Amino acid sequence: MLALRLARGTHPLVLLRRLLVAAASAGVGFLLLCTLGHAVAHPGGSVLRLVWCAVPLAATVHFAVAVARTDPSTRPRPGLSAVGLGPGRLTAIAAASTAVACTLGSTVALLVYLHLRGDITGLPFDGAAAGLLAADRPLPLAAALTLLSVLPLTASAAAGLALRPRKEQPRPRPTGAERPPASVPAGLPWGITLITAGLAMETFASRGTPGSAIPMPGHPDSSPAGVLAGWVLTALGLAVAGPALTHLCGRLLQTARPGAARLLAGRVLMEEARRIGRPLGVVCAVASATIAAATLYGDEAGPHPFGPLTGLGAALVTGCSVATLLTAALESKHARGETTAALLRLGAPAKLLRASAALRAAALLALFGPVTWGIAELAALPLTG
Amino acid sequence: MVAPPDNDVLWGRSLHHSHGGSPALTGVSLGIREGEILAVGGPRGSGKTTLLRCLSGQLVPDQGEVWFNSAPVHTMGALSRERLRRDRFGWIDPEPTLVPELNAWENAALPLLLRGIAHRTAKKAALEWLERLDIGACARRRPHALLTAQRQRVAIARALVTSPAVLFADEPTATLHRADRAQVLRTLTAAARSHAITTVLATHDAEVAALADRTVWLLDGRRVNAGGQGAPDAEGRAACSLSV
Repeated sequence: MLALRLARGTHPLVLLRRLLVAAASAGVGFLLLCTLGHAVAHPGGSVLRLVWCAVPLAATVHFAVAVARTDPSTRPRPGLSAVGLGPGRLTAIAAASTAVACTLGSTVALLVYLHLRGDITGLPFDGAAAGLLAADRPLPLAAALTLLSVLPLTASAAAGLALRPRKEQPRPRPTGAERPPASVPAGLPWGITLITAGLAMETFASRGTPGSAIPMPGHPDSSPAGVLAGWVLTALGLAVAGPALTHLCGRLLQTARPGAARLLAGRVLMEEARRIGRPLGVVCAVASATIAAATLYGDEAGPHPFGPLTGLGAALVTGCSVATLLTAALESKHARGETTAALLRLGAPAKLLRASAALRAAALLALFGPVTWGIAELAALPLTG
Repeated sequence: MVAPPDNDVLWGRSLHHSHGGSPALTGVSLGIREGEILAVGGPRGSGKTTLLRCLSGQLVPDQGEVWFNSAPVHTMGALSRERLRRDRFGWIDPEPTLVPELNAWENAALPLLLRGIAHRTAKKAALEWLERLDIGACARRRPHALLTAQRQRVAIARALVTSPAVLFADEPTATLHRADRAQVLRTLTAAARSHAITTVLATHDAEVAALADRTVWLLDGRRVNAGGQGAPDAEGRAACSLSV
């Protein structure tokens, strides 16, 4: 109840973020229910579709955790701590509000699904997809509820785990000048190893038999299992290397006698490398997968290269990863609010702070853009050649 | 509008300000002479910080006028007040709000870098000031590795490095122990006197106020006479007679 009361008084932007989580959760719920419909219509042939649903599910959980982390109502506050609402209870509140948002989304997904099947009547598009969603057969209720509860449970457990009170990091964390600097992220060698291993595996697998073990829905013959495993390794490598690359970017930005804008931009990037780098790596992985998929499937397969459900899944993954990156950027901005206020008191022009932010974005784009494009080209090369 | 007398560098007339309805300043007038150290005394919530923020152009008073060197601050736009603050004023917070990503000399050199001064010149000036304040040895350390007193001295160096016309210090020793407090105050006042920097020092401590040339006492947003410290007791007794 406290989670709801706290949610009622929050800023519209915070509510919008929770609404986006609910929307993403509705999308994933709809995909899962469609898989169930397919399973009812074609018994025994739907495990693969269920496995593919894991990708948007993971992206949504990632986004939900980022939103829970940014949520101002779950941050330790002296006022709430004084009435006995410590870090442990706040973690519980974070998990509960994540569960509420995801359950809302799942409920909407169930209603839309039933509506499109034709079970709920009286609205436009009544039963518009009855044939596709196997409307002639009854929907197993227990299976539907189990599938729909997967996302709320996973997301709230992940949020609780991510925000759990840790012994070595006292909450509330020291702010301002007392905050010790973050250590240098050390993921670059591992990241490069994973990326090269992934690309090599993919090249090796694509020379083998074209027989396919895990086909994309709608493309049964074009993606062997080895290629997909290679892609997964490459994506993982990008996510691991992201923080180190961001740190490197910041270090390069502040070298050689910097002025105020370059100095602040570079140092902040080095400091926030962990927070920004991970979601940035994930966005790069998704972007390179999208570019590679567009290169592979874009010019073949006629007017409909993707089915509507594949499109929905791809949109969910892209949207969630970009939204996670934006949320992380917002979190880093909030974490630095006190320093920004001190700078403004010194008379630092707001223009300079904006220039510094633009410089950070430009530097990241200049480093990550070519990396993404290069990996996408390398990933698509063995399959097109 | 009449310009203030020439011997006052900064001048406030019947300043009124309220924070979202709750009154902070109710008609304060004062003039600050060139090169003097003026203490603004009073208990917590008496409007010291609001007065300093009004005088330094961070806040525009609801009513009243602020003049700096015969220029009206209260009618300036946000951008010119920002420029005035950057070029002519220095500010020290109760807590040393240093930028955690920069080391000590970079923090001290930041106001110069913000003015567009070359990296090498800014570094030289910042290191000189850190030497003068006896913290030259920790110039390359990050703020988290410094003691609170050292951090506050870096903040003082940051405020003094631009040789401001007026230095505003809002309870600069509030978070320090007594030994550190005396030392920090001594360095601050000595530096201000030797460089002829006009200083406005907010404090709730009569001992600190004794270091200044002149003291203005505030109580509940009004100026009171020198015996201002006795006044809260009389009001406090009246409030306590309520039965609760």
